[in-house]
Amino acid sequence: MRKLLTLTVLAMLTVLSTGCATMFGQDKQKVVYHINYNDEKQLNAALGNVKNHINAIGKDNIDVKVVMHGNGVDLLKTANTDLDMQQKVIGLKKDGVAFEVCNNTLVNKKINYKNDLFDVSEKDIVPSGVAEVATLQQKGYVYIKP
Amino acid sequence: MKQEKRFSDEFLNAFVDNQIAAEEKSQAFIEISQDEALNRQVCELRKLHDLVQLAYREPPAPPARITSGSISRHARLRFGVAASVLLTLGIVLGSLIHLPSPTTIPTVTIASEGSAQRAATSPKRVALPMAPSNTMVATAPTRESMAVSPVTSLLSAPTVTPVPVVAQKEISDSAQTKVLIHLARDDVEQLGQALDDIEGLLKHYRETRQNARLEVVVNGGGLELVRTDTSAFAGRIQRLQREYDNLTFAACQNTIDRLVREQGIIVRLLPGVITIDSGMAEIMRRQNQGWTYLQV
Repeated sequence: MRKLLTLTVLAMLTVLSTGCATMFGQDKQKVVYHINYNDEKQLNAALGNVKNHINAIGKDNIDVKVVMHGNGVDLLKTANTDLDMQQKVIGLKKDGVAFEVCNNTLVNKKINYKNDLFDVSEKDIVPSGVAEVATLQQKGYVYIKP
Repeated sequence: MKQEKRFSDEFLNAFVDNQIAAEEKSQAFIEISQDEALNRQVCELRKLHDLVQLAYREPPAPPARITSGSISRHARLRFGVAASVLLTLGIVLGSLIHLPSPTTIPTVTIASEGSAQRAATSPKRVALPMAPSNTMVATAPTRESMAVSPVTSLLSAPTVTPVPVVAQKEISDSAQTKVLIHLARDDVEQLGQALDDIEGLLKHYRETRQNARLEVVVNGGGLELVRTDTSAFAGRIQRLQREYDNLTFAACQNTIDRLVREQGIIVRLLPGVITIDSGMAEIMRRQNQGWTYLQV
């Protein structure tokens, strides 16, 4: 009888541990960084925040999206010419960071993303940057405005 | 009075974590809401608190520990089994809750100018714009049975879709979207851009037929946006209010009181702007109610 009970406990513990493993596996931290300014110091600081955030918890445990609209799009404009900024963007992309650009801004400011912005393709364009920030939060992304 | 630090960091943390007595808390709440720096500090703490909570979702409850030695080994073992079963059940349930629910309530309403239909919380199936005339109401039911009907030609571009697509879209639409936008600076250029963003967002929700509510909370320097004597955008704000009945401007009473107290300014607000006790408190309340927070 006691043996049977012990076995049951062991079986339960196995189920439990696998359950835990799968749960923690899918529990990546999801974060949206919101950027709508073009002050270079601030931009550099923001990218530094993202990098530090990733370093702190490991790139495999985090899903970061940087959403830019309004003046914030200048980040990728600057990265076209400023090699330091460019390296930062490349590094973060390697860590899995997605840089999303607001289409409203592209239209309003007449920006051609292929020529004017650094490494932007169609999949990086969202219809509205502000709406994207809201939508991501609804999907469980934590909002950070550096 | 401003200089001395009235609350220690530990106290503020306990305040944010809801770990102090109700009486003390309400007293602290009043004092905090009267001090902008404190207010901001609490807001930051709360943000951090939310962040941590999100990062570490609630773990399953640990089994209660029995310390009494009088219980027989047998009983303890049986208790262990029961606890494991409960734990496993908790984890399975937890992960089920974790998965995105396929049954979000589809709510699709279209805000048309001048009409005052507010966010209905009950599920709606038919995505039709508010009828400008009775004739359209009369023809509306036929649309469900026919993929292409005369009504479709009356609808705006995104509506002209075959019925199955509409149905799919309704499912992908989440329940009501509620967004709080916080403006706290008096930079005219920035405020102008903020209004661009707000208008863009309202347009986006209207075009994508999302049932959304927007609340713009102004405090500190942001109050200038809605004061009759300082606003550079009075006309624009009134136009936005007319065009979008799902938009509210809310001004912080604490800021208004401070202007009276410190600068002797009698604040008059633009028509339609409501006041709230404290901008910071409103931001916390709204976030607790599931609103999305945005600072533009």
